Amino acid sequence: MLTMGLKTTHLFLYNSIQAVGWAVCLYKLAIAYSSMQKPDQAYAEAKDFAKVFQGASILEVVHAAIGIVPSSPAMALLQWAGRSHILYLVLDAVPQVQSSPASVVLLAAWSVSEIIRYPWYALSAIGACPSFLTWLRYTAFIPLYPVGVGAELALLWQGLPHLAARGAYSLRLPNQLNWGFDYKIFAQMVMVIYLPAWWQLYTGLLRARKKRLGGGGSKAKAE
Amino acid sequence: AIHKTVEHTALLAEEGKMKISVQSRSGKSIADLDVEPELSVRDFKKKFFGLKRKYYPSRQRFTLPLKAGETRATALEDSKKLSDYGLQSGAVLHFKDLGPQVGYATVFFWEYFGPLIVYPLFYFLPQYLYPGQAAPKQHALVQTLALGYWSLHYSKRIAETFLVHKFGHETMPIFNLFRNCVYYWGFAAYVSYFVNHPKYTAPGELQSKVALGIALVCQLCNLRCHVILANLRKPGEKGYKIPRGFLFNFITCANYTAEVYGWVCFTIAVQSIAAGIFTLVGLAQMAQWAVQKHSRLRKIFDGKEGREKYPRRWIMLPPFL
Repeated sequence: MLTMGLKTTHLFLYNSIQAVGWAVCLYKLAIAYSSMQKPDQAYAEAKDFAKVFQGASILEVVHAAIGIVPSSPAMALLQWAGRSHILYLVLDAVPQVQSSPASVVLLAAWSVSEIIRYPWYALSAIGACPSFLTWLRYTAFIPLYPVGVGAELALLWQGLPHLAARGAYSLRLPNQLNWGFDYKIFAQMVMVIYLPAWWQLYTGLLRARKKRLGGGGSKAKAE
Repeated sequence: AIHKTVEHTALLAEEGKMKISVQSRSGKSIADLDVEPELSVRDFKKKFFGLKRKYYPSRQRFTLPLKAGETRATALEDSKKLSDYGLQSGAVLHFKDLGPQVGYATVFFWEYFGPLIVYPLFYFLPQYLYPGQAAPKQHALVQTLALGYWSLHYSKRIAETFLVHKFGHETMPIFNLFRNCVYYWGFAAYVSYFVNHPKYTAPGELQSKVALGIALVCQLCNLRCHVILANLRKPGEKGYKIPRGFLFNFITCANYTAEVYGWVCFTIAVQSIAAGIFTLVGLAQMAQWAVQKHSRLRKIFDGKEGREKYPRRWIMLPPFL
């Protein structure tokens, strides 16, 4: 291509590959939907792509930690962990919730968000990002975020009784590590923090949007 | 209106005063003060407090308007004079409200006092804190030693707050008091819950005794480091100095080194993941502070214009960091 440095090349490639992965995931969901398949069948079609590309996105934590992107590594880790928890530890682990519409809604919301976000990163890295994509990236979250969070909470709520019944992810005393972990209590605390934490993120994004897009298209007032 | 300002300025100049316009950072006018150029920033803040009773001096932050090419505004320091900043009559200062403030020593006291009360609760009152669990008649030796070590550690911290530490700032935002107490009191409960649990499994006594012995040595090292740091600046001195002596000759934040190893030893002594988590979180926070301090010192002591060059040192945790 042009004389791109290693960092730019890597970021362009990584974000492009992610964009493709989530596009395929969305495609699989669309096919399943158009052939009137049930949620668990739709999930079965799309899950491999979702699992692989969500897992690979741990790289974004590394990018933040080594400083090639401006995000905070702690935030990146928190967001990766939150999503991975829902996908691997709940949705993939509890067949019963795969038949819930929330499973398809979740993957759809994630896929749509990602096919906007990743191309935006990829094109921004090489300085070729069209302004409509920027607008989309800072606007699409407005409906997608609440839908995604709603689906996550629904899945956790539906899946928890099954996980608690089989004592999943828990450690009981006594043991040599002198530590116990009750996943049920942990999940309940997560559900309690979800809404306020998510609200902070959402309003933060709205503020960032105002800054970036100038509040509904109007120019920022001169000081 | 302009000629009135010129008149006013001339009148002030006769009295040896100048006018300072205080504005918010968005340009909104807040107040105008007539002051002598020789006035200290500290006294300026007292005057401002006289006009705006809501903003006591420690809540006030004044910055000079940004010059071309600057991204960070220069903040006025209490110990300097207005004339030190080259302010002329009609000069503008930007005001920021730092929010309700609380003293450093106050925060340190309350954040360390909590663990002194919370941790022993689980040791002395298992019947209430582990309802429905039959507790063994006697605690394991390590549980008692751990209680002693924990209490000693936090008593030491409180003593250092009032007898050793010299704080670089007088106050901090009051939200920090709440946040820090949640951290310290929360972890005190978390660690104590597991170490003093009726179903606690004690590791070998030799392991516990040796580990706690080493932990005590680490605490003494940490204390010595704190004393060295407290004595770095002579009274009235400002600015950063290169720490020297003892472990500081090899490590920038040797005090954190001793603290981390102390908690690692405590974790080995009680053999609990809960203690391990506490250690890791503390380590992460201290590492962040250590990297910041180390870069700051290397930036200041760059070896140019007669300044010393900061020596090659570990940041906090040889051989890793």
